[in-house]
Amino acid sequence: MEHLSEVLELILAWENFLAIAAGVSLGVVVGAIPGLTATMAVALALPFTFSMDPVTAILLLVGIYKGGMYGGSITAILIRTPGTPASACTLLDGYPLAQKGEAKKALKMSLYASVIADFISNLSLIFFAGYLAKIALNFGAPEFFWLICFSLTIIVSLSGSSILKGLMAAGLGITFSLVGLDPVFGSERLTFGSYNLMDSISFIPLLIGLFAIPEIISFYRKKCSPHIKIKASGASVSWAEMKGSFKSIIRGSFIGVIIGAIPGTGATAAAFISYSDARRRSPNRENFGKGEVEGVAAAEAGNNGVAGATLIPLLSLGIPGDVVTAIILGAFMVHGLTPGPVMFQENLPLIYALFIGIMVSSIVLLVVGNAAIKYFSKIADIPNEFLFPIVLTFCVFGSYAVNNDIFDVWLMFGFGALGYVFARNSIATAPFLIGFILGPMFEDNLRRSLLIGANDISIFFRGPITWFFIALTIGSILLTFKSWMPGNKKRESGSLTDKRYLENRKELLSPADK
Amino acid sequence: MKIKATFKACSMTVFGAVLALGALSQPAAAAEWPTKDVHLIVPYSAGGNTDVLARRVADLLQRELKANVVVENRPGAGSTVATARLARGGRDADHTILMASPGHVIGPAIYPNLGYDAVEDFRFIDKLVDMPNVMVVPASSPYNTVGEFINAASGANPMTFSHPGIGSSIHMSGELFRTFTKLPMVAVPYQGSGAALPALLGGDVDVSFENMSTVLPHIKSGGLRALAVTSPERSPFLPDVPTIRETSGYGLDGFVTGVWNGIIAHKSFPDEGVDVLREALKKVKETPEFRGFAKEMGAAEPSTASGDEFKAFIVSEIERWRKVAEDAGIRN
Repeated sequence: MEHLSEVLELILAWENFLAIAAGVSLGVVVGAIPGLTATMAVALALPFTFSMDPVTAILLLVGIYKGGMYGGSITAILIRTPGTPASACTLLDGYPLAQKGEAKKALKMSLYASVIADFISNLSLIFFAGYLAKIALNFGAPEFFWLICFSLTIIVSLSGSSILKGLMAAGLGITFSLVGLDPVFGSERLTFGSYNLMDSISFIPLLIGLFAIPEIISFYRKKCSPHIKIKASGASVSWAEMKGSFKSIIRGSFIGVIIGAIPGTGATAAAFISYSDARRRSPNRENFGKGEVEGVAAAEAGNNGVAGATLIPLLSLGIPGDVVTAIILGAFMVHGLTPGPVMFQENLPLIYALFIGIMVSSIVLLVVGNAAIKYFSKIADIPNEFLFPIVLTFCVFGSYAVNNDIFDVWLMFGFGALGYVFARNSIATAPFLIGFILGPMFEDNLRRSLLIGANDISIFFRGPITWFFIALTIGSILLTFKSWMPGNKKRESGSLTDKRYLENRKELLSPADK
Repeated sequence: MKIKATFKACSMTVFGAVLALGALSQPAAAAEWPTKDVHLIVPYSAGGNTDVLARRVADLLQRELKANVVVENRPGAGSTVATARLARGGRDADHTILMASPGHVIGPAIYPNLGYDAVEDFRFIDKLVDMPNVMVVPASSPYNTVGEFINAASGANPMTFSHPGIGSSIHMSGELFRTFTKLPMVAVPYQGSGAALPALLGGDVDVSFENMSTVLPHIKSGGLRALAVTSPERSPFLPDVPTIRETSGYGLDGFVTGVWNGIIAHKSFPDEGVDVLREALKKVKETPEFRGFAKEMGAAEPSTASGDEFKAFIVSEIERWRKVAEDAGIRN
């Protein structure tokens, strides 16, 4: 601790705390706006950091990233429009809760789960960076392949009442994910000669279309009939609920940490894996997808657990795991610092100062998040006749903003129509989404493994990590079969179909709405 | 009559004066470009190397031009989406420029029906930087030189090389190496350098032709070993590492490749604009800020290629990559 005074000198500057507060606040707002992602905000903030001290600069960027991770859940819960891809999973239970008049509960749980996961993620970064980085380096294409196989087994558990429909939806999601250029040969697939499709289908227009548009369509179709009004008042999270969800939050946080430490997986996958793990273990599993507060907790813990952990490969190996950390790497380089083992030897005080700042950012997230809930909840006070046109405007804006391309807006409406068809036919959207996200990862890692192993399939069984995930995959499939055996009463567990939402809604109409 | 003649003389004089003024005002108008905000299109997402360079250049250019330089990201299909849009021209074409990169010359080799001519539809204003790629192997690799690497590769032992995506300069450098050496080599695609790098560090692939700025820290920390640089001369950042073309006996004499960035515009871009921009960019390249940043990216000195030299470079590059892509079977 001979560096203590140096560390304190580096961190105890008002600029640092201002940077954290400004970063987290900006992140939450940007994250909450559909189409504007944390990644975009970090990229746009980068030039402003060139003139700052390195610690201040990095903390500002990390703050934006963390704020953005959380912010996405606000609009997902309140208006069924995920602000960022990673919050799509939060929506599965967050929005039904909001429909029941328990938006406040969902928002608070999402915040608490986010903050706890963020905290655990930071601690993992500080104490286990070295170990996790080693695991990450041993995580090659075959290991990834089995991780994705395991994750794909989630589809069955998120399929709702009909496995067949779930698998169909997943197949459709995978089909859409194939659009673009073949990753190995570069030949066109399913682009129909369209230039815009060559770079594959953008995720954000797809998400916005799939979730927000069906709500808008159903609002206008039923304009004359009573329509449910979201209320942000209502009870907050009770101690019992917190206690009930606590294990899921902790498990979700560690799932996020592990996924975050492996370069190239991403928060969205972490959220879904954590969610499905929680659902599988929860005594309330039947309520998942219908407004289960534990579902919100697990999803948010999964995606926020990633935030601190993505810095593990960056700081300990100098490898950026995603676009955000690549930008943060750029910020380090601009200040003449090179993340990696050498930095731990040469700039130890700076790393400790960053660690302190990152821990502080978790606390700031709690404060800013609480304020954000208070103000964003006012969205719920807007009468539906005004709210839905505004949401529609944001849908169009958000889809356009991704690539500054009007094509994405049409894409968004297309997926909106598809989402509506799904809802009308009781088809769950979650398997579609998982197919779309994990499909390309499955293909990439399968083909990559075969290329590396010169078409020898023994590469898929090359070490303890592959065997670990093979065991998990088989276990997961067996568990699913067990619950589907005839006579098992838990069979009907947890429908996620949108028709159920609509049914719920009818039951839940409050007298005022009628 | 006299009055009429006087009037005629007067009007002729006025007409002449107006013409003369018009002629005189021509160069004056030239000095006035830009007359509105300049748009600098980045054909990639925010946050990448090209984007960061563009934002820094925009900042410095703004000071020289005394006009706003607005950066816009239009990512897609390896930069060709933004380039296609620039090629279409339009209302602001006289104030729109694009930060081109190897994607501009590799695109025509990879994508069919680009909808534009990568040479004729554009004006090539100024090349800003040239950066070499580095041929790197994992620290655990038994190869210490390019020669050893080539000798070890055989039909029974094909070499794998990682790259961050089809048509990237890293991918094409690998394909170029295969074309030159006729070695059995397998390209292994990853989603971005972030995912490709661990595969290389972990020894899953044999080699990569990564960007200098990406691998330099790993070479210094001992995680990777540099066999050669792809530039025509050795890089001052790795003075002990030979160039690939120094490897004699394997027909690699002409092997030169790397990454570059330059400013291009629509073919209708006015001459005045080109002149003003070239002058301004020349000054930008001399600033210590630019030089410092270019060094971080792996460019020892800013590029001096401008105008015809830049255009000739583009023409020869397009031709070269087309052949390489055909040889590698990645042309659609």
